[in-house]
Amino acid sequence: MISLSSYLIVSFALFLCGIVVIIARKNIIAMLLGMELILNAGALNFAAYTRFVNQNLDGHVMSLFIIIIAAAEAAVGLAIVIRFFQIKESIHIDDAVELQS
Amino acid sequence: MALQYLASLSHYVPEAIMCLTMVFLIMVESSYDNNLKGSAKGMLYSTAYLGLLSVFVLLVAKIGNEPVTIFTGSLVIDPFSNIAKIVMVIGTAAAIYLSRVSKDIYEEVKAEYVILAVGILIGGLLLSSANNMLILYIGVETLSILSYVMASLKKNDERSSEAGLKYALYGGVTSGIMLFGMSHIFGVLGTIQFSEIYTGMSAITSSDALILMPAFLMFFAGIGYKIACVPFHMWSPDVYEGAPLPVTNFFSIVPKVAGIIVIVRVTNVFFAGSENILKESWIVLLMIISALTMTVGNVAAIGQRSVKRMLAYSSISHAGVMLLGVVVIGEIGNRAILFYAITYLFMTTVAFYVTSFVQDHYGNDHFERFNGLLKNHPLMAILMSIVMFSLAGLPPLSGFVAKFNILSAVISEKYYVLAAIAGFNSVISLYYYLKIVKNMIFRDSESEESVSLFDFKSQAIIAAFSIPVVVLGIFWEQVLVIANGAKLFIQ
Repeated sequence: MISLSSYLIVSFALFLCGIVVIIARKNIIAMLLGMELILNAGALNFAAYTRFVNQNLDGHVMSLFIIIIAAAEAAVGLAIVIRFFQIKESIHIDDAVELQS
Repeated sequence: MALQYLASLSHYVPEAIMCLTMVFLIMVESSYDNNLKGSAKGMLYSTAYLGLLSVFVLLVAKIGNEPVTIFTGSLVIDPFSNIAKIVMVIGTAAAIYLSRVSKDIYEEVKAEYVILAVGILIGGLLLSSANNMLILYIGVETLSILSYVMASLKKNDERSSEAGLKYALYGGVTSGIMLFGMSHIFGVLGTIQFSEIYTGMSAITSSDALILMPAFLMFFAGIGYKIACVPFHMWSPDVYEGAPLPVTNFFSIVPKVAGIIVIVRVTNVFFAGSENILKESWIVLLMIISALTMTVGNVAAIGQRSVKRMLAYSSISHAGVMLLGVVVIGEIGNRAILFYAITYLFMTTVAFYVTSFVQDHYGNDHFERFNGLLKNHPLMAILMSIVMFSLAGLPPLSGFVAKFNILSAVISEKYYVLAAIAGFNSVISLYYYLKIVKNMIFRDSESEESVSLFDFKSQAIIAAFSIPVVVLGIFWEQVLVIANGAKLFIQ
């Protein structure tokens, strides 16, 4: 039987991976992927807590909404990255230095 | 059940009208070709204003109503959020007018600006009456996702798309972190309803508190990023500078007010009923963050060349001052925050309007562009000076009364160090606000010929928005009475 703590460990690992990807990778698409990992860590936590701790549906509803909103966020993020790529011909975050004073 | 939902809907008319307005705006926008002209454009703007006006009227009529929770307790319509909603609606209407006259927004995306502004307003309305973690998350995301698009509204401009990119990356990460924190709060307390959290918070054990403390820290990251308080403020000057000016004007009012309101609600609901280690650490966190936010915002604003960037940093420091009011958990702090939000709306709007017209004419918004404005446009220069004095918090203007209220609330809780920091910051801010006044009054303009920066209609609107800046400084009791009546619904 998989216990609650295993789920929590997996989700924490996902969260850490996401943070590391955001900090270490310079590719904007990879950073968006890291963002998704963080969001999914949250969604996994909600589902796991609902299953093991309290049996109400709040957590499941929350997870569903997270999936939907993460998709919307990824769509907008990718659209902006595409626009950035058309202007700069690069998806490297170090090329976004126009606005530093 | 169905009847109950119908009854809930009757309290939710303003938001519903806003949603319908947005749908109608999209239909109007998409049924005409790219360069909207003549009647189509008039139709678009009149739809937007009609929607905003009816929402404004409905909200004003609701002042003083008893708080109700609707949709099985997931939303709360209370007088406190009502006033904040009025502030946001006025701010949106002002920003939409500015977008119409500004040259900083391409003609073909002006319609999109209106749609996005209304959409962000819906997010703000949702957020300010959130009584449930799900609604809070949806509100934050509605606000954020549309803001990313709005920041990169100038499609072919490097700076604008870079601003949107930075905003999207920061925003996505912080909302993910907030979600992770929220999931642990849900795990420990077993509920996402604020009303149940309120009761649950008074019965936590010390091992629960150990999990909840980092969870609340993560939770704060998500909201803190929306109001750009200090550890999460890095995106703000870049986004504010890169985005077109009407967008900056909008960002410094609506998302900021919504964020402050949600922090007030979370602080009061989660921590009002209990005395434990969590409450103390939350207050200490807020104190440190508000002090840092004020100081960093003000110090960074000093060296700026661009007025827009200066106003961005100044709005960071104003968010810090509003956070001071949150530290005082209770009615006196909430009242001061509402009053501050009302005055901040008018001051910021006038400052951005004048900057926008100067920028449209000269092509940039450096401090030198304000040289000799007094000779060209005496009225506008005087109004801008009044607003600058008010932003710095000099009596007898409304900015002073607002700051005074916050400080008196802080002092009544005996946080003298915080009050002293706020006072020092007011002095620092005087330097950069008065730099504009000095340039306008004592410097000669760069060219001799007199240029016309403002048309009559815009001057009238700027004057109308500056009247409250002065009037609220003198007749502030009435507004304070209204703000005092606007009680936050705790449970």
